[in-house]
Amino acid sequence: MRNLLRECLAEESGFVELRYHHKESRSFFAERGRVESTALRKRTGVGVRVLEAGTWGFASTSDISKSSIQNAIQVAKKAARLSSALRKEKIPNLPKANFAIGDFIGKGIEDFRNRTVEEKLKLVLDIQNAAAKQSAKLQSVGCGYSEIYEEKAIVTTDGADSFFSMVRPEFRVSAVAKEDGKMESGSHSIGVTGGWDCLFRSQSPTEISDEACKTAVDLLSSSLPDGGLSTVILSPSIVGLLVHEAIGHTVEADFVLSGSVAQGKIGHRVGSDLVTLCDSGYSEYYEGAGGSIPVDDEGVIPTNTVIIKNGILSSYLHNRETAERFGVAPTGSARAWEYGDVPLIRMRNTFLMPGNSSLEEMIANTKDGYYLDGAKNGQADATGEFMFAVQKAYRIQNGKITDLLKGVTVSGLAFDVLQNVDMVSKEFKWDLGSGHCGKGQPAKVDAGGPYVRTKVLLGGK
Amino acid sequence: MDRNSIEKRLNDQKDLLSNLVKKAKTNGIDQVEIYSSYGYSEDVSLEKNDLNNCTANEENMFGIRVIHEGNQGFIISNHIPSLYQSIEEAYSLAKSQSTPDLDLVLPEPESIQNHFNQYDDSLDSMGIEDLVASAKEALGWRNDLYSKVNIDSGDFSLSKGYKLIVSSKGVMAHELGAELSASVMGMGVDGDLVGSFDYDSASGFDKTQFQTLWKKAFMNFGDKCMGALYAKPISGFQGKVLLPPEAVYSFFLGLFIGSLNGTSLRKGKSKMAGKLGEKVASPLLSIWDDPTNDRFMGSTGFDREGLPTSKKSVLTEGVLETYFYNTYEAKKAGLPKSNGCATGGAQSLPGCGPKQLQIAPGKSSKDEFLKLPGKTLFVNRISGTKDGASGDFSGVIKGGYLLENGEKIPVREVQIVGNAFDALNQIEAISKEGELLGESSFVPYMLLDGFTITGVTEE
Repeated sequence: MRNLLRECLAEESGFVELRYHHKESRSFFAERGRVESTALRKRTGVGVRVLEAGTWGFASTSDISKSSIQNAIQVAKKAARLSSALRKEKIPNLPKANFAIGDFIGKGIEDFRNRTVEEKLKLVLDIQNAAAKQSAKLQSVGCGYSEIYEEKAIVTTDGADSFFSMVRPEFRVSAVAKEDGKMESGSHSIGVTGGWDCLFRSQSPTEISDEACKTAVDLLSSSLPDGGLSTVILSPSIVGLLVHEAIGHTVEADFVLSGSVAQGKIGHRVGSDLVTLCDSGYSEYYEGAGGSIPVDDEGVIPTNTVIIKNGILSSYLHNRETAERFGVAPTGSARAWEYGDVPLIRMRNTFLMPGNSSLEEMIANTKDGYYLDGAKNGQADATGEFMFAVQKAYRIQNGKITDLLKGVTVSGLAFDVLQNVDMVSKEFKWDLGSGHCGKGQPAKVDAGGPYVRTKVLLGGK
Repeated sequence: MDRNSIEKRLNDQKDLLSNLVKKAKTNGIDQVEIYSSYGYSEDVSLEKNDLNNCTANEENMFGIRVIHEGNQGFIISNHIPSLYQSIEEAYSLAKSQSTPDLDLVLPEPESIQNHFNQYDDSLDSMGIEDLVASAKEALGWRNDLYSKVNIDSGDFSLSKGYKLIVSSKGVMAHELGAELSASVMGMGVDGDLVGSFDYDSASGFDKTQFQTLWKKAFMNFGDKCMGALYAKPISGFQGKVLLPPEAVYSFFLGLFIGSLNGTSLRKGKSKMAGKLGEKVASPLLSIWDDPTNDRFMGSTGFDREGLPTSKKSVLTEGVLETYFYNTYEAKKAGLPKSNGCATGGAQSLPGCGPKQLQIAPGKSSKDEFLKLPGKTLFVNRISGTKDGASGDFSGVIKGGYLLENGEKIPVREVQIVGNAFDALNQIEAISKEGELLGESSFVPYMLLDGFTITGVTEE
């Protein structure tokens, strides 16, 4: 594929970027004793981006032939020329980057190819059947396995020339419990970049299922916490949501240029000394983080970007265009979901670095607060105000965990929450790999870190 | 890409897909359905108060469903030369399963009464140049009227295409469509002050309709961003919330509508199970689904299974009148056939749900809501979470106001917690005025009482 793309660029002089993308998504889902759905989604095409007359033009084609790709280049050039008259701030050029050259084959691909459809169907059916028998209160248990295999080739007229591939499996269980007309749901999921062994390394399918079912049943006897500003210990999944939603989005350089709360704050204190925050294309500390990428969608080798160092804001996340504007090197953060999508600045694996405390010490040192666990969803605002939803909130009283409460939503101002971090654990975990981040288009990301104690606004009664 | 070329492509594809289905039947694959979705679009995007990118995309996606002895395989592909191999792959997926359900069959064809023409030929004379002109106009509005509003992103799109469904049972239906659409997202910025994100969008069948709706949407966006700029924290209270149409639809009613889905009902995940004919909401609330009104964007004569759509009452003065079924769920519920409520497109299996919800307007004036005594929280948007089974929802209020003694105070760091099923009975009043969301669903304002509102300041 790299050869074909290079041929298409042979006579081009300006900046042209060709991105071939083939994606196969398989999913298997069982509920109520039978396989409810099996699906295979295949999508292939080439996205063409040009920089001409100081602006971008983009076109895409699902026809992987030289003539069709070259036609798309001409369509993209025409689009760029048409828009140039309106664009005020022209893009003069793109900076040099650490381009990926060669083939980068991800881990786990052989494993994914060698496992049969029957094996995957048996997994979801067996787990679902066993789980449904656990409690008479369980109304329904659904079990799903999915995997996304992707291969990409990126060739540009200024030096990028790579092929890379990866596979991302996910496993999820969701349960609904019912008692006296009350219904509650619980879910648990994991997702990694790598093979089946990597997926089930820290928890077996049965353990994942048990956790989802137990949450649904336990929540039947829970009530809402008291609303208000509270001291909380966040589990790694919640820390992941916090650093992704509350900080990560505000430091994406396109949001910064639009006026996010992080604008002009490089070199300023935005968190306590205990806070060192990174976003990496690699899987730091523990193999298999779900947002790992060998190459970004501009053909750049991704870095481990230190966003906050000991509480001081030190970097934004950049693509090539914003790196030029800020006079820094690209961080390898340009990502596109499908071949027909223009690459955007996106997080990869966002994490807080571990500290020196243990979780036990943190709980023992908390007189009045909550332990929050089980990430659901989250969103952030340009203001730095964020919200994330949690499944479970455990009351902490006098250094001991007591009642289980409904998790509801948690919110705060990003930098206030980081300033209030006063304990960080030694333990570390990636725990957001089964989700997607939305920003105009989806992206597979991961996030995590240690256990963290801070203050947030808890929604409640 | 103009109407003639799209129609030619459609006609060629009808033949191609019919032949593929015939070939499959000849080879022993009895139940196969192909849903084709073709789209060509030109787009102009904005970023940071400037033009960002111009794009042109064309794609044809196919959703291929094969049912074999009660088991189903589904393949989605955009590769026309290998469509027959995809049918075989879907067949293979179906055969690999061991949990058949003989209620799972493709539907028999039915006559489609409503034939829609939502392709206005005037759009064929438009192209990227017109979208660039629209972008220029919007940037001018921003510079002249909303200089403190930063456009984070925006998009102008001209899209054309068709949907086509062919099945081995004899289903054959198609519709062409074309539209102009635009959206904008951004926030107010004044020095170090940054307001909440907000957005708005509009779409139209033709240039004139689009321009009128888009200008209104942009001004609404600008006003919302400015209104949220000087927000401040408040203390919590128990009381009334006022929901504008977007908030009514996206958060509060969405959970209720989801609970009427045939799949949720069958799986015991719906609190509305067994409530047909019962009063489940305030008598002020009446809702119906009408995909047959050709004045609405997205109205259609057939559903995801190629069966005719129809107007149906969902809730009449608080009494539940229908659930939503596709063919499989109707069979599981013991009904003779579906009620034309199969949802989805080429990239998904048929689901169950409404298409064009309409909520009956009330008798109050929305301006009366703004002058109520005591405290009322105006919930512009909720950034939060919702649970389909329990109906619980909670989240942060974005771009909201505290309405107090005729004053309108923009607020931040405020959370709301509630339950959608309880909320159906907490409706105090519904406005006469409303909005056509997505140019297809009429939704009024609603005033509800009895909510817990959490703030960060002390009384």
